[in-house]
Amino acid sequence: MLLDIRNLTIRTKTNIGTVNVLDKVNLQIHEGEIHTLVGESGSGKSLIARAIMGFLSERWDVTADRVWFEGKDLLSLSAAERRDIIGVDIAMIFQDAKSYLDPNLTIGEQLSEAVLDRDLDGSWWQRSKQRKERVISLLHRVGIKNHKAMMQSYAHELSEGAAQKIMIASAIAHRPKLLIADEPTSTMEPATRQQIYRLLAQFHARYGMSMLMISQDLGAIMPQTERISMIYSGQLMETGPAEPLLQKPYHPYTEALLNTSLYRQAESQPRTKLPTLPGVEPTLQHLPIGCRLGPRCPYAKPECIKTPKTLKLRDRMYACHHPVNLED
Amino acid sequence: MTRYLLRQITLLFFTLLALSLFTFCLSYWFAGSAVTNSSGIFPDDPSYATIATARGFDGGYFGQYIAYLRHLFAGDWGRSLLDGAPVFEQLIVRFGASLEIMLLALLVAWFPGVAFGVLAALKPGRSVDNTILGMSISGYSIPVFWFAQLAILLVAVQWGLTPIAGQINPLFDIPAVTGSILIDIALAQPANPQAAYYSAFMHMILPVTVLAIMPMMLLIRLTRNSMLDVLNKNYIVSSYAKGMSTRRVLWSHALPNAMQQVIRQLSNLISLLIANTFILEVIFSWPGIGNWLVRSIYERDYPVIQGGLLIIGSLILVTHVLLNLFHAWRYPQVRKDLYAAP
Repeated sequence: MLLDIRNLTIRTKTNIGTVNVLDKVNLQIHEGEIHTLVGESGSGKSLIARAIMGFLSERWDVTADRVWFEGKDLLSLSAAERRDIIGVDIAMIFQDAKSYLDPNLTIGEQLSEAVLDRDLDGSWWQRSKQRKERVISLLHRVGIKNHKAMMQSYAHELSEGAAQKIMIASAIAHRPKLLIADEPTSTMEPATRQQIYRLLAQFHARYGMSMLMISQDLGAIMPQTERISMIYSGQLMETGPAEPLLQKPYHPYTEALLNTSLYRQAESQPRTKLPTLPGVEPTLQHLPIGCRLGPRCPYAKPECIKTPKTLKLRDRMYACHHPVNLED
Repeated sequence: MTRYLLRQITLLFFTLLALSLFTFCLSYWFAGSAVTNSSGIFPDDPSYATIATARGFDGGYFGQYIAYLRHLFAGDWGRSLLDGAPVFEQLIVRFGASLEIMLLALLVAWFPGVAFGVLAALKPGRSVDNTILGMSISGYSIPVFWFAQLAILLVAVQWGLTPIAGQINPLFDIPAVTGSILIDIALAQPANPQAAYYSAFMHMILPVTVLAIMPMMLLIRLTRNSMLDVLNKNYIVSSYAKGMSTRRVLWSHALPNAMQQVIRQLSNLISLLIANTFILEVIFSWPGIGNWLVRSIYERDYPVIQGGLLIIGSLILVTHVLLNLFHAWRYPQVRKDLYAAP
């Protein structure tokens, strides 16, 4: 087990008091696994990623039974210990990559920051030469051949895809064991998205790194995904291997999301209502008690006001009182 | 960058031309003879007729303006109506004196201003932040002329730590060449340079400190606000994701980007500084432009008013353009916006 998160709860203060934005989320990622976390915007996907990276400010109260990375508890690390892991063993890429590049530094300067001093040796000019060579090889690895022009350009001169490639290059500088990708392709057109996915899959195959992909669209997840976790409004709904989960979702939320995606809609009859969940995702001030999907769930019963236990069925997990597709 | 440079310099050229046109017009707008107002030669002076011809006053307005410009570039800015001293030579010396305390005050204001601003931005809403902000607002609200007099009363008169006014003890007899007292001491090479420097330094402390306070307070607030803004930017997050320490993130990403907005506001700050310098020069009897200009306004010394206006206006314009150029050179994404315009 590379990353083991048990009962991760993140609280924050709102005008109605303290709210559990993230409610006892479990997430396990094995070595070399591509894990996709799917949820609507505001469901707390990015919060999980930021909690792992240690980016959350003091406004967020993070508690967990464990957030273990290779047996080390990430939540109890000091800032210096954390820097040995973040950026080296755990790297992260983001949505809207351009805004994650410093507008006033060249790409070359920013990439060379990702090369650590301890990987270089010799006098300072030897080190700076090695540093430059590293940067060039990183650019080549993400498929940028014209490294000279790229190293001298600024963020505003890049396309979204090129900027994301730079972010990937900086992320893989130390062959991380875990790459967290927070909606890396959601603002891209499909062709660029496929390019980025192919690049990520290539590094996954070459380095054997695990990946935590975060996505808000079940229809646009990375094709190589091995496991999928569904999160809704801060509660984990369902986890399982990609193929069976998409074929036979246990949780009503997964089923509803699948129904709204395009390839299912093609099967629906003309002049019928599109199959969507009624209502909208609750705001932080109006979180339902119990299962947070309750008010929108077509199968909801009175017992849904109690939070369902996470049940395990073979290699899948779900948290629902009335799972669907369980007849067999 | 070349295109931007050319554009700024062309703009500067035309603005300076407009400024010179305005000062030229002043000779007519002031009471009395335009020849006297622009040259400082009284009508009863024997050279009056030749001066009037040389300045084109027997021709049209356009010829007069051209002659005025020619005199400006030749360094003949007329004579003071009061003492007949040539305006240009006086201006150069006094300009140096003004520039000296201005630059020193900016230097004194810069480092604590930025440091306190960053400190406040790192702990927004905490007691450090509140203390610094409170200090900055109260410091900014104190009128500089009142504060200067208070400082003189307390530090110079009550405690006797510093001299009350002037640039240096007159017994040193340093001739004013550049106007800047520190450079003048170096040029004059007095018998006892340490004592001269010490005296100049003691004379300088009060005006420079008082002058530095308002820009410093402004800098604190500017730096704090832009730093807060920058610290919420995504590229700060990605720098942490590279495993950089807070110190390195602040130093190589947060501070340079925060300074961008500060530099954009810096020309306003310098205009304020110039205005305050003139007030303080009167209070501290500092032989600078402001002191001279205020006297010339009281005495209706028109050639001096014209020259002073011209040089102050040019100073503000040139610093503005230089700051713009520096801003565009240092921050490449600024140039992008400029190039996009047709």
